[in-house]
Amino acid sequence: MATEDLKTHIEELLNILGDKVTAEELEKEFRRFLEYGVPIEQAKKTLLKKHGVSSNYQDRTLIVDLQPNEKNVHILAEVLSINKKHATVRGKTREIYYGLLRDESGTIPFTAWKDLEIEKGDVIEVTNAYTREWQGNVQLNFGDRVKIEKKEMEIPTSEPKSYKIKDLHPGIGSVELEGVILEVERRNVDVNGEEKTVFSGIIGDETGKTPFTAWYDFNLKKEGRYKIKGGYIKSWRGIPQLVFDENATVEELDVEGSVPTPIRRVPLHILVEDGGAFDVEIEGTVIELQQGSGLINRCPECNRVLINGECKIHGAVEGIEDVRIKCIVDDGTGAASISFNREQTEKLIGKKMEEIKEMSEGEFLDEIRDKILAHPLRIRGNALTDSFGVTFIPREVVIVERNIVDETFKLQEKLEGLQ
Amino acid sequence: MRRETAWRVFAGEYLDSTLEIKGDGAKTPSYVVTPLGAKVNRLFIVGVLTDVENIVEGGDFIRAHLSDPTGVFTIYSGQFQKEVTEKLSTIEVPSFVALVGKIRTYTPEDSGTLYVSIRPETVYEVSAKIRDNWILETAWRTKERIEAFLEATKMNEPNARELEKLGYSRALSQGVIAAINHYPMISVDRYIDMIQDALAYIKPMEEEEGFIETEVEKPKDEGAKDSNEVEEKILEVIRGEEGEDGVSWETIIERCKTKGIKPEVVEEALNSLMDKGLIYEPVLGIIRTT
Repeated sequence: MATEDLKTHIEELLNILGDKVTAEELEKEFRRFLEYGVPIEQAKKTLLKKHGVSSNYQDRTLIVDLQPNEKNVHILAEVLSINKKHATVRGKTREIYYGLLRDESGTIPFTAWKDLEIEKGDVIEVTNAYTREWQGNVQLNFGDRVKIEKKEMEIPTSEPKSYKIKDLHPGIGSVELEGVILEVERRNVDVNGEEKTVFSGIIGDETGKTPFTAWYDFNLKKEGRYKIKGGYIKSWRGIPQLVFDENATVEELDVEGSVPTPIRRVPLHILVEDGGAFDVEIEGTVIELQQGSGLINRCPECNRVLINGECKIHGAVEGIEDVRIKCIVDDGTGAASISFNREQTEKLIGKKMEEIKEMSEGEFLDEIRDKILAHPLRIRGNALTDSFGVTFIPREVVIVERNIVDETFKLQEKLEGLQ
Repeated sequence: MRRETAWRVFAGEYLDSTLEIKGDGAKTPSYVVTPLGAKVNRLFIVGVLTDVENIVEGGDFIRAHLSDPTGVFTIYSGQFQKEVTEKLSTIEVPSFVALVGKIRTYTPEDSGTLYVSIRPETVYEVSAKIRDNWILETAWRTKERIEAFLEATKMNEPNARELEKLGYSRALSQGVIAAINHYPMISVDRYIDMIQDALAYIKPMEEEEGFIETEVEKPKDEGAKDSNEVEEKILEVIRGEEGEDGVSWETIIERCKTKGIKPEVVEEALNSLMDKGLIYEPVLGIIRTT
């Protein structure tokens, strides 16, 4: 075997074994196995076992390969984060633990129904876990049968891969990203009873924008341009988010002038397939109005919509009047449900709430039908995913006035190109 | 369960479909795959509602036809879509309507033929401008499918993954591959012609509504108003004469002559009325209103 190849294998083993054994020692042992004609993979397995790493290690699944609805999942991972929250299940309050795991291939969110006594930085071997699809992504669940064993080893970090913001998606384990800090703010947060300082904001490049969270003070300045190496991608309801901590390297780049960060225009199928997006623009047709459009009353305590004058939580209350339009926007490649708030509704209909209040419910619905139903809209905002599909949270909306004649000519020209 | 996309497909393409991917009911939906690979469970259509008839006494089950520039969608609506059924029965025909609906298929016993129709979910009246918008949008989407199809045929082994990489949606990528495997021959030219025919529909309506702003086009605009009056007059003539069996072309020309309308003007107006779906030709040379 070429010395180069041997070196790669030794390095791989050392990455897993840490400082349990020296490189020289390992190489000597490895060479002996090879001299006796033991196949390489078998030799590696045996050496790992000899130095205290479970032989199962080789049978584990890489995080990147996990699919939804797998049983008996076996992985080896480092705990990137773990948090506790309370959830009410069938009337009982229970504690749930959730967080993010990583291995050399990527990251995956997990949920556990009991305290597993693990903390950030631990390396664990997980057996008998199962996966589900949650908000468009694979999630790992630790049920009753799960076995978790702490390991004294390190999980190698793969060399960060360079990404553009539009290509970020949950599950990426080691990212290199170059971009401009568009917003940044310092916050103090409570992490399992301990106060920590985080820096969160928005970073953009020429392909889009994404929220970020830094768990370490890199002295990030607004409008500064940085190369961030060694972050990972976390998902919040399908929106990818860049997270990095003291293990990352951040280099300030000396670039003159501002960098344009245009709003990314996406066809709706991208949102359906990726599960979410941050600050993007869509264009689609309002194909259906949904129940709950029109004048509504909200609870003054919690903002919930009152049903027959009652709030689900606070009972009979004096409601605050509001108006909204709930609808389905579809561009022929995908669909999203959208709820337009008072300001947006007023703009779309061209009437103030006071005027709308003068109208009967029927008149108002007719008005919506006339003005926006079957009309194309251009909308800017964030896309989220739940089990019903994509919900788009609009920030800005305009009715698209197409120049039909121009577009017809354009299309006719393209058709000639196809023939 | 995720919401199914409302595809934009011309009637001509939809009716060419002979492939159905059957789901097992509630959890996995069924799809009709068109020759260009639209993998359709739901559609959004804007067209001319030309007729609505009760198939069952009492009006519980109706059949309606929705025409676009390339063909006619058949709509069946029953008691499970009571609201839509009622709505369809009250809309005056002909009118422009928008419809969101699910695929509906029927294969008679002992035949391999697939008949595709639509079960409506929502229906509402719209303006001519919205109809033009839909034709344009559907034309773009159809062109996109043609391109996806051409890309796939260029591959050594056509596969959905490579198509997705080119930017086509997952559903379309899968649909195109399913179509290539099922349809023995797919004529791209047929669909390019279909798009062009559909686009030709857009302009006259434009002029009528005064959308064209250039100076040169203005006289035409007025002409359109004149021809509207003529069309109205001719419609009156047809309605007065048609009875059960319609009225012959010659009779219309004859009657119009007495009203001072020249034959060539009548002929042009009849063509225009037909385009608008206001009249049709049940037998060659015989005209009826819809």
